[in-house]
Amino acid sequence: MPVQTEGAAMAENVGFFTDTSVCIGCKACQVACHQWNNLPSPDGQRRPLPVLSGNSYDNTGSLSDTNWRHVKFIEQFSGDANRSQARWLMMSDVCKHCVNAPCLEVCPTGALLRTEFDTVFINEPACNGCRDCISACPFGVIHMSDLPGKNVAQKCTFCYDRLQQGMTPACAQACPTQSIRFGPMPQLQQVARQRVADLHRQGESGAYLYGADDKILGGLNAFYLLLDKPEVYGLPSAPKLPSRSVLRSSFWAIVSAFLVGLAALFTFRERTRRAPEGGIAPGASPSPEERA
Amino acid sequence: MNFFVADPGWGWWIISYFFLGGIAAGCYFMAAIIDLFGRPEDRPLARIGYALALPLIVICGVLLTLDLHRPERFWHMLFKSEVVKEASAQGWPTTGAGWSTMASAPVFKFWSPMSVGSWALTLFGLCSALSLLGSLWPGGRLERWFRRSWFGMGITVLGCCVGFFVAAYTGALLTATNQPIWSDSVWIAPLFLTSAASTGIATILLIGRWRNVGADPLQRLGQADRWALVLELAFFLAFVGSLGALLSVVVSVPIGMVFVGGTLLIGIVVPLVLQIRAAGSGRHGIVTAALLVLIGGFLLRYGILMTIPALLEHRSAIASRFGPEDGRARGGGPGADPGNQAGKIEPPSKIRGTR
Repeated sequence: MPVQTEGAAMAENVGFFTDTSVCIGCKACQVACHQWNNLPSPDGQRRPLPVLSGNSYDNTGSLSDTNWRHVKFIEQFSGDANRSQARWLMMSDVCKHCVNAPCLEVCPTGALLRTEFDTVFINEPACNGCRDCISACPFGVIHMSDLPGKNVAQKCTFCYDRLQQGMTPACAQACPTQSIRFGPMPQLQQVARQRVADLHRQGESGAYLYGADDKILGGLNAFYLLLDKPEVYGLPSAPKLPSRSVLRSSFWAIVSAFLVGLAALFTFRERTRRAPEGGIAPGASPSPEERA
Repeated sequence: MNFFVADPGWGWWIISYFFLGGIAAGCYFMAAIIDLFGRPEDRPLARIGYALALPLIVICGVLLTLDLHRPERFWHMLFKSEVVKEASAQGWPTTGAGWSTMASAPVFKFWSPMSVGSWALTLFGLCSALSLLGSLWPGGRLERWFRRSWFGMGITVLGCCVGFFVAAYTGALLTATNQPIWSDSVWIAPLFLTSAASTGIATILLIGRWRNVGADPLQRLGQADRWALVLELAFFLAFVGSLGALLSVVVSVPIGMVFVGGTLLIGIVVPLVLQIRAAGSGRHGIVTAALLVLIGGFLLRYGILMTIPALLEHRSAIASRFGPEDGRARGGGPGADPGNQAGKIEPPSKIRGTR
């Protein structure tokens, strides 16, 4: 059920188009996200100070409860002995705000909501910290906050508060290279397709869009232009909607229940037939053994 | 298989819940079958089953609440907190408007195993409580109401069905995720259900033996346990088979070995053999078999929950081996640059005057 501001009609479906081919890894998006959303910085006590992770220039490691944006640094080298060819792939990762959102689907409390902008939002006062959304998210986006007094699921809000005021989300506003573009989805999809065509013309034949169409979870409202296969960026090729397994799983559970019940019934029923005094009728009195 | 997920951190509370909840469901189911179809001399076993089901399911509720990061919000599983808040503001429970709003507060998502499971647990707790009440005073009025009347038999049948659901939904819940292994097999739910039956029967068997219930009822219970174990074996093999090449990934971590080997041998094969031998030669071995079934049932839950975090810890080595450097151990050979021997290169040095 979409969250509706009072009197507001269904707003425009907005999204992020992240063009990884122009990302320079400056992390301005991460900083802007931290600032706008008051996400705590490492203090050297509860949260260790950032150190070089040993994984390129990445010192935040992954998306987390306090990093709702995370810039991935992927270093690639050619297989020859001298590593003569090398390139960096950079990608600003974020919640994908899936059109068919697995987290929203499984959430038992209704804390995960679809907003009027078609984005996915965690209503913190409703979340009880069951973590079903974490298990369901195929992108590893959601994490639990361990801040005192919070202890609920955390992820990108798509700057829901800014959207309501007609403002651009903080990350897209801060991005200096327009790697993160914000806008109405049809417009973004058009821009993205044009960008792919331009890159192909320039010889970058590996460029393609991830999540722009409806093949991945009905479409991703935060979709990407990638230069290598999804797994290289830590993105799954074929994430699935959890509910798709429920019916098959339930069917076999019912079959197993039927078989177990039949086996137990057979074991005790057989004896009942052999023993004429057996069987329990409604209102029958208890056995002498049971009275004992 | 998707290794790009985050770990939900379901640990000991949930493992214990899966294990004890399975036993509770198995106990109730067996007690119900005995109650409805068994001989009078079998009924003490039914009473044991009912006596176990309620306390176990109450403990399960406590475990689940403790596992929440906001335990005081456990009721959000059943009611929308925002609507309850609104109804309270309207004066619920003393005003009509409050009740009218409250009517839309229950949250029931039939497609979400955790949502349906929350209601099922509540209902199962209610059935268990009524059945236990009916079994406390044999021959009394409560027994007539809650076990011997049509209403009582209805409660028993309902409790049995909901118990089956409680036993199986936890498996469906694991499948309805995007976690590796869990979401790759639809056989976890039936496996959990058959394991619930075998562990429930084993528990009744042990208590029955301790309470000196007659030999014949225990023998029949042993036979039911053999059937449950055979079915559990079949579903376990189906589960392992459904993993295909992923099985090698599972057993690549020690917990995975314990999970597959422990469940199969300790929890199913050895007790099954002991049970079959005991069936031919009196009661010897039945207790050992029942204890092993319980250990195996625990290993199944422990293994299936703890293997995934172990795999995710090694995700880079398992899922994304893009280069031979990835997963290279300390002192583990030349790695990605076998032709680039460091000894052939003279680094610039002040000693040699080359820097």
